[in-house]
Amino acid sequence: MSGHDVRRLDPSLFGMRLSGVLRIYRVRLRHHAIQELLAALGIAIGVALVFGVLVANTSIVGSARQLIDGVTGSARLQLAARSPEGFAESIANQAGRLRGVAKAVPLLRQDATIEGKDGSESIQLVGVTPSLLSLHSVATRSFSSGIRLISGGVGLPESVASAVGAKVGKDVTVKIDGRASRVAVNTELGSATIGPVAESPVAVQLLSYAQKLSGKRGRITQVLIEPRPGKDALVSSELRKLAKGRIDVLPAKQELAVLAQAAQPLDQSTTLFVAISAMVGFLLALNAMLITLPERRRNIAEMVMQGFDRRQILLVLGSQAVVLGTIASAVGIGFGYLLATTIYFQPPVYLATAFPVYFHRSVHVGTVLIALSGGVLAALICAVLPMYPLRTSARPSADAVLRDSGESGQRVSVAASKGLAATGVALVLGATLLAELLPSLTVLAGVMLALAVPCLMPGLFLVALAALAKASRRMPGSMLAVATIELRATATRSVALIGVTALAVYGSVAIEATRHDLTTGLDAAVTEYLDTAQVWVSQNDNFLTVDGFPAEPARRQISRLADVSSVRVYQGALLDVGDRRLWVRARPPGDATIVQGSQLISGSLSTASAEIRSGGWAAVSNVFANEQGLTVGSSFTLPTPSGSRRVRVAAITTNVGWTPGAITINTSDYERWWQTSAASALEVNLKPGVSPAAGSREIRRALGSAGGLTVETVGQREHSFEATAREGLRSLGNISALLLVTASLAVASALGAAIWQRRDRLAAMKTQGFESIQLLRSLLMESLLAVIIGCFGGACVGIYGHALANRWLTLSTGFPAPFALGEVQLLLAFAVIVAITMAMVALPGWSAAKVPPSMGLQE
Amino acid sequence: MRGLVKRYEAGGETIVAVDGVTLTIGPGELVALYGPSGSGKTTLLLMAAGLLAPDEGDVLFDGVSISRHSARESVLYRRREVGFVFQAFHLTPGASALDNAALKLLADGHSLRDAHRAAEPWLRRVGLGHRLQHTPEQLSMGERQRVAIARALVNEPKLLLADEPTGSLDSVRSKETLKLLRELCHERGMPGLLVTHDPQASELSDRVFTLRDGHLSEGLDVQLAAAFAS
Repeated sequence: MSGHDVRRLDPSLFGMRLSGVLRIYRVRLRHHAIQELLAALGIAIGVALVFGVLVANTSIVGSARQLIDGVTGSARLQLAARSPEGFAESIANQAGRLRGVAKAVPLLRQDATIEGKDGSESIQLVGVTPSLLSLHSVATRSFSSGIRLISGGVGLPESVASAVGAKVGKDVTVKIDGRASRVAVNTELGSATIGPVAESPVAVQLLSYAQKLSGKRGRITQVLIEPRPGKDALVSSELRKLAKGRIDVLPAKQELAVLAQAAQPLDQSTTLFVAISAMVGFLLALNAMLITLPERRRNIAEMVMQGFDRRQILLVLGSQAVVLGTIASAVGIGFGYLLATTIYFQPPVYLATAFPVYFHRSVHVGTVLIALSGGVLAALICAVLPMYPLRTSARPSADAVLRDSGESGQRVSVAASKGLAATGVALVLGATLLAELLPSLTVLAGVMLALAVPCLMPGLFLVALAALAKASRRMPGSMLAVATIELRATATRSVALIGVTALAVYGSVAIEATRHDLTTGLDAAVTEYLDTAQVWVSQNDNFLTVDGFPAEPARRQISRLADVSSVRVYQGALLDVGDRRLWVRARPPGDATIVQGSQLISGSLSTASAEIRSGGWAAVSNVFANEQGLTVGSSFTLPTPSGSRRVRVAAITTNVGWTPGAITINTSDYERWWQTSAASALEVNLKPGVSPAAGSREIRRALGSAGGLTVETVGQREHSFEATAREGLRSLGNISALLLVTASLAVASALGAAIWQRRDRLAAMKTQGFESIQLLRSLLMESLLAVIIGCFGGACVGIYGHALANRWLTLSTGFPAPFALGEVQLLLAFAVIVAITMAMVALPGWSAAKVPPSMGLQE
Repeated sequence: MRGLVKRYEAGGETIVAVDGVTLTIGPGELVALYGPSGSGKTTLLLMAAGLLAPDEGDVLFDGVSISRHSARESVLYRRREVGFVFQAFHLTPGASALDNAALKLLADGHSLRDAHRAAEPWLRRVGLGHRLQHTPEQLSMGERQRVAIARALVNEPKLLLADEPTGSLDSVRSKETLKLLRELCHERGMPGLLVTHDPQASELSDRVFTLRDGHLSEGLDVQLAAAFAS
């Protein structure tokens, strides 16, 4: 290789070769491995938290997007049924003959349960015809042979087959609409055949077979339409005429908009988590930089002494930061992915009851780049900050810097803390105004509060220190005085750590307390909703209770039982109104509770119940009422399968646990409007003296297993519903706990490193007469005070954030969430942080306190 | 210090760091101790401070053997009888000169208020009365060392030990510091032992000793004298 070739492989910039720049960093790493590790740890933690949340959230919505994109292909419009009963298949043929229509593809989609030898899975059964291939969607590009394979049986995606233990050639049980059928598994559909749909909870059959299985011969639920180029408006108009107000004419991917609306609270809370996590990570990296600031300054001074100019110094520091930031971010991304698939991951059960969502590990390049660039940027800022004094000619003598002692003492100036406090107060006021004027943007207000937290900490720190200093001045032999002096001496670093602690407590308190409010509200909603019967008979334990089955055979059988006093038909459905997938609940007039009192926001409970029983009235959720501009007594148009219906508002309620909102009507109206007498559940009351357990056993025996119906006592059903609600909220709890634990570990590491760095001075203190136990007490006290100040600050803002979040839940999302202060969550957050931090600091503290006095001497 | 011997084991070898050193420092006398690195100066200092027990011999302070002190007595000795000045100052960065000077008294059960009251006159004595609230970062190197000296004296010690106190200072500040140390020793009738490499200390101390290979000799030895002359 020629010298020219070697030089090309080793480019130079500002007179320095790349190999030289890297060698400088290698030397630095050899001598300051721990400091670099600490800085990398801070960056990695921040990146892991942020990346994990982003991946976990996009995976849920992303999965549905993959499925819908995968099926709709080139279709741009659709005819969509307003109920699972669907509409006549002939509509698809008529649609195909309309002017401007290139392709019209019929589908039948039914919710079902697949049972195999290893378990059961809720799935969506999709009946297709070979015409689906004409849409050239991702899921069907390689599916031409698959169409033949599913004839006379079912094709299961690999994920479903593996979950239920299904094998090709063996039968599985398919339960739909109260019917259980044995069906052969003809093929397993992998990603090579159906692309990303292979991981979805979807089973594919030929349309005719699916119609037979579900008892819906000649019926379909969807027609995907591909208009000819430029004919979308014409086709849309023609389809509306064909639909005659009984079928929805929508964009082909409309379901994504509906899902996005339902997942909005999840998206908004993700924004908050991302903001808090990013700030925690940055503050940790900043703290690591502060710990190593004197050493970095000496490093820069040495370079100045050796003749490096400013550009070269920037090149060296910048390249080190890029290497450190990239490696730390890569590690963070790895851990973040682990978080996304374990702790953050919760199957989106409450969304899965109404949407074809599943957890698909979708990591987008954009997400990786965001995480990577964030980590590198944090490293660059932290690396370049020590150069700040070099920005003007009035820089300290490099020689003086080299002679300086090891530690940095940075006091927080009163002016700086006042300025930051003013900024913090402005942010709090701004957040308050935003939440008051635009409740839908309350989560953004939460982000503003998160930004306010580190701004307020310096002021709080100085006030607390002043109080502590005053208190300790007269205490004889007080290590509190020593601790206070040390805290004030390293104020900038202490404030950064306090900021991290405060942010973690803020996030934890606000999130946990809000989650507790939500859980309490949802539990109350569930209990009151189910308490109308002692035993519930339904297709499954889907908490929306929308899957229909023939009512009469089961109702008659149950009525004949000696222990049964009454059986009522309950009906329910999901109905898309605009971008909302509303939960329609139809209560039989005989129910003791028509409108849940605990969920009532406006209207009279007794009047509303009477009106709904009489017919033509509905209780609607506030989110829907606000969107439609409804008040009690006003009316609106409900698009039902039998056409549009005018309904009057009897009462306005919370969203009763379903984000898009709910509508409560009576069963008579439902039967007429939905043109079905199918039940979603049977409500059974028992004779006096008969326990729900005994009653449910009787009913189970009477019904047998052929109908595929589930019989539950009200207690069992409540438990199952509450578990579903909590399942959906568990990720919130996991994230807040993770934030606490991570912050505690990181703060403890930083404190431990700071203590360790101080050993020379501790040795000198021992030489002057301090005992090991005195030094240990002062070190622990110092750490404890820093943590407590942070906890207190974070808790104060956290309580306020909780109040704002609660207001957002009730006003903006419509959830039932009675406000409770959350003392338990507060104390728990305090206890976790203090316990972890102090436990971790004790070891380096003890070790540092035992430092031999000779360490303070020169030889 | 009477017949002090201290041995260390290192790499299978026994090294005699201090070999039969006898040295008496009288009240008000400042003694400078020279010697190359590894000659045993720090070992001697540690024994004088009661931080290291000799293998043979004894260290007597006011006629009392400190080599036989218990750990607790040793701590009290350093707290109440000894003032220590370090080359690296070991001040608490970011803490005021007053806090730094007063810190030591907290170990002995004083309140911070009382410690401040005790420290302020000493800071004035060393010429820093106008810099009480300044932090080490706001002080020159010479001023920092004076804060350290004030700290060493705040407990009204009866013995001053200094480990290379001018090692971080330029020659002008070094001379000032050495003069100050001598003045203080003379004023208070306090014996002082100054471990140093600074040539100026040989002129500003009352007596000079050299420690080489564990052996003590009075005055500068030939090599050191030549080095200083050059």
